[in-house]
Amino acid sequence: MRHWRIVLFVWIFLCVLSGCGAHRAKRDLIVLLPDSDGKTGVITVTTQGGSQILDKPGYAVEVEDLNKPPIAPQPVEEKEIMDIFGPALSMLPDPASRFILIILYFERDTSKLTHESKVLLAEVLRTIKSRKSNQVYVVGHTDLVGKEAYNAGLSSKRANYVRDLLVSGGIKPDTLFISFYGKARPLVPTQDEVPEPRNRRVEVIVR
Amino acid sequence: MNHTRRLFLPLATIFFLLSISGEATFADPSSTIATVQKVSGIADVVRQGRTISAKIGLQIYQNDTLRTGRDGSFGVVFNDDTLLSLGPESILVIDEFVFAPRQGKFSIAIRMLKGTVAYFSGLISKLAPESAHIETPTSSIGIRGTKFVARIEGEWKRGAPHQGN
Repeated sequence: MRHWRIVLFVWIFLCVLSGCGAHRAKRDLIVLLPDSDGKTGVITVTTQGGSQILDKPGYAVEVEDLNKPPIAPQPVEEKEIMDIFGPALSMLPDPASRFILIILYFERDTSKLTHESKVLLAEVLRTIKSRKSNQVYVVGHTDLVGKEAYNAGLSSKRANYVRDLLVSGGIKPDTLFISFYGKARPLVPTQDEVPEPRNRRVEVIVR
Repeated sequence: MNHTRRLFLPLATIFFLLSISGEATFADPSSTIATVQKVSGIADVVRQGRTISAKIGLQIYQNDTLRTGRDGSFGVVFNDDTLLSLGPESILVIDEFVFAPRQGKFSIAIRMLKGTVAYFSGLISKLAPESAHIETPTSSIGIRGTKFVARIEGEWKRGAPHQGN
């Protein structure tokens, strides 16, 4: 009985020393995780030897040396992620306490809200008031139909239209931050000139 | 004689007030950029050569170095709601954090020297997606609106290796 215990201890000790099971030893490891919003972003890992794009959650890029290109993305098991990153992840503050994002959609080539989004506007006002937010970001976008300059103008009109609605709904103008990006930041990536209702939008971010 | 003395105090007060308010408007690098929200074990912040042990509520400034010991870990929230946490035996330097929506200025530049880090993008990546970077000894990580973890084995071999202060 006691014999087994010693064997176990020695085994654990050796594991700690040699890093048992850590087959990715001595390489930098970068793992993309899914957002809580269900959206996944993009990471670019660049060394002096080259660059890799990481855009699938649960995939990892390894870097061996600054002169070599990063190793192409490969899936990582959740257990391994927890083994290596458990302590760091458990200390990540709660994302739920952050901002709230509400998206309002527009009719094609106009600054008229869709019917559903008109209804949603009441919720935007409620959210701002209940959070007593003094930082509300209103960000205008368009789909990819038409020229850049035209879409910049259209996205600005959309953002300012929402701004005016919020102000007449009782929100103080100096708490509203307006910006617009035309066709530069589609929510749903499409080819140029493709009409896409989900890209005709104003994002309202309430802090 | 009497006259000059009577003038001296009010003048000194005005100068004093002017110098304070001047500093306040200049204070960009010395204003707080993040707050410690979770701590466990040995974790500290190195600021201009001084070591301050991390406690919940501790304010973080630009150029601060965050360090953890063998069982240490901690999590911070930046002013734009970017979340960042360190696992054990980690060192990270915040070279730059700018969140100035009124001026339209946004930037995050972090140097991860070793250890493990978890990162969850905040508003900056929504408002200016190209403006967040983490430099490691081997690579540069460009972050566009996401959550990720990284383990860095350490040893800075690239140029400009000063380890914060």
